[in-house]
Amino acid sequence: MPKLNRPSLHPITMWGFFIALACAVIATGSVFVALGAVGVAALLVYLRREDGPWGSSFKWSLIAGLYLLVIRLVTGILIGVPRPGTTIFTVPRVELPSWLPGIRIGGAVTWERLSSSLSEGLIIASVIALFGAANSVTSPRKLLRTLPTSLYQVGVALTIATTVLPQLVSSISRIRSAQFLRHGKKVRISSIALPLLEESLSRAIHLAQSMESRGYGTSKMRSRYRPIPFRGIDSLYLSAGTTLALLAVFA
Amino acid sequence: MIKFSNVTLLYPQSTTTVIENLTFEIAEGEMVLVMGHTGSGKSSLLRLINGLVPHHTGGILAGEISVDGISTRYVRPGALSGIVGIVGQNPINSFVADTVEEEIAFGMESLNFPPELMRKRVEEALDQVGLAQLRGRNIATLSGGEQQRVAIASALVMHPKVLVLDEPTSALDPIAAEEILSLLQRLVHDLSVTVIIAEHRLERVIGYVDRILLIEGGGESSLGLPEEVLRHSELVPPLIKLSRALNISELGTNTREVRRATDEIRKNLPGYERPASNPGDVTVEISEVNHSYGNKEALKGISLSLSSGEITALMGRNGAGKSSLIKVITGLITPSHGVTLINGRPIHEIEALERAHLIGYIPQDPGDILYLQSVAEECQRTDLDKNLKSGTTLAYLHKLLPTVSKESHPRDLSEGERLTLVLAIVLVAAPQVIILDEPTRGLDYEAKEKLAHLLKDAARRGAAILVATHDVELVAELADRTIFIAEGEKVADGTTLDVLLASPAFAPQVSKVMSPRRWLTVSDVLAAQEVDQK
Repeated sequence: MPKLNRPSLHPITMWGFFIALACAVIATGSVFVALGAVGVAALLVYLRREDGPWGSSFKWSLIAGLYLLVIRLVTGILIGVPRPGTTIFTVPRVELPSWLPGIRIGGAVTWERLSSSLSEGLIIASVIALFGAANSVTSPRKLLRTLPTSLYQVGVALTIATTVLPQLVSSISRIRSAQFLRHGKKVRISSIALPLLEESLSRAIHLAQSMESRGYGTSKMRSRYRPIPFRGIDSLYLSAGTTLALLAVFA
Repeated sequence: MIKFSNVTLLYPQSTTTVIENLTFEIAEGEMVLVMGHTGSGKSSLLRLINGLVPHHTGGILAGEISVDGISTRYVRPGALSGIVGIVGQNPINSFVADTVEEEIAFGMESLNFPPELMRKRVEEALDQVGLAQLRGRNIATLSGGEQQRVAIASALVMHPKVLVLDEPTSALDPIAAEEILSLLQRLVHDLSVTVIIAEHRLERVIGYVDRILLIEGGGESSLGLPEEVLRHSELVPPLIKLSRALNISELGTNTREVRRATDEIRKNLPGYERPASNPGDVTVEISEVNHSYGNKEALKGISLSLSSGEITALMGRNGAGKSSLIKVITGLITPSHGVTLINGRPIHEIEALERAHLIGYIPQDPGDILYLQSVAEECQRTDLDKNLKSGTTLAYLHKLLPTVSKESHPRDLSEGERLTLVLAIVLVAAPQVIILDEPTRGLDYEAKEKLAHLLKDAARRGAAILVATHDVELVAELADRTIFIAEGEKVADGTTLDVLLASPAFAPQVSKVMSPRRWLTVSDVLAAQEVDQK
């Protein structure tokens, strides 16, 4: 993966840019805008992806988006308001009681209906992908670091909460496989819960002790190591994104 | 620098004291080792030094503790962060930031240091621990030794007068451990930092420390020069065991001293070599196994076999592929190329239930497989799982551990007891293959000896055993054969004697003393003596 040596962009710029893209996608409701936005996001992720656990969020969000797209398509075919048009194929229809007018399950699937579910699904998926891309290029921790000092203490607490999550996932799979090897039967969630709870608790205590011994909360004011500056290029990116969004909303 | 007078500690909801009437004084610029049995209160003692105990944990503290003239009773740990730096066992659990630099700066940010000062201090700390090249890296991507250095740098950056480390090398391979310890020694020499370190693997630290604080049960403790304290201690590293066994009056704490004292013995004893093991049939066989996660190749064409009655050690640096190899052998992952054969049958054709009967697995953290409310329930569950007569497992456990109460909750057991419970659960049905992942973390010599005894017993009854470990002394004591892997490739596979003697970094203490003689442990030397007397 190519790593740029250019100064990195401000987290707010990155998030602002992606939020603007998402607004544009939603406002226009156009599949082409959505695909274009995801393309831009993919390029940015390719160029500026961070290493570490958050770096792969884009990939995961794409996968999640695809799932949603499939679900949207299936439900779109099966359930919905009838729409006239060219029929492609017909699914057996389930009769609903008369007090549920306008909704039907099954029946003729028209080209119009299919394309509208497809475009709706794509838009939802692309918004999710944009969110994932934002996480990939700047970890939420970095964003939290830019919070004003008064909110910074809260931010640090939130930051720490975000570390626990990826660790939890790996613990679950570790405990599950160890227990599976113990008895060779299906491992129940309840039996993972106890070791997991113990581990998470002791981790939380360790973390709290480490923070306390390093002076966290001792001083009312908190200074910042290498505050991230907001540069000219940031304004450029941000205004470009906003203009795009505005154009999309009003055009 | 640190002064404890008549310190007694009692945790809430507990009737026994953790520390009783402890009095000692440590001077500036000393490197002191705290040793004692598992559960003797070493960790509590370390955390008393910066007030985490009792400020953070609760508990009743009697007596007086002062650090650099400040009583910890009235000052919270945060306020002491400029005086005492503390580094835990598992640094990954104490990291709060993403990157190396941010992690190091965290403590200074909390105390509202001006940015210019922080930049300067971070620079210094990075240089002191030799991490300057890795400054921008994400901490999660670093190796265990590098993470430990980040933790040390984050403490050093506050310019503490005292550095407290709780088993800093227990998760590290011998080479990384050596690096951390020489780093600490350099800090003591260059900056006159007082270093307090707790460690079970005495052989690793003994050559570095100035004095030892030994905590014995029942309120007894002694602080003195290593050779004085070790003369009377129950827990001793192999070097001291050797001197005792050979009746050498001068106890040496480093290889050179003991070497000088054993010149005669080395020259005069006859050539003896521990007999090679006589393994039975091959139980587990894997050949040409490849496996990769994404683009990262974890295993590159590894072939190995485990035989009935033989104990094999699996060694290698952190990240060399030991865990992946274990997962392949136990059938948890299906490798992209190659297959695991158990008694000649491919593992994926064996049903999970039968597999659990064939293979016994002891995870790194034994607690992972305990999920019931009492020892008795865990044992009953095992009887059911393994189709044993009711009460078999409990009876077996009592044979291994007569003192344990069956009502006690598995979480309340000590580390050694918990491991024994898990061993009982796994070994009671006599599986043909036994796999252990890093079993000696946090165990003292006594518990280790027990473990070795148990495994040798199982091997005698025909089990094929694989132990993945960093513990060189355990390997020397226990293993018939040693396999060494690096970067997913097998680098060495042979008798423990050949493999350990061939690599200076992984040589046990006794072999360093006795080189060029081919003896790994005290019992090897004693066996040679016996041959001589006949």
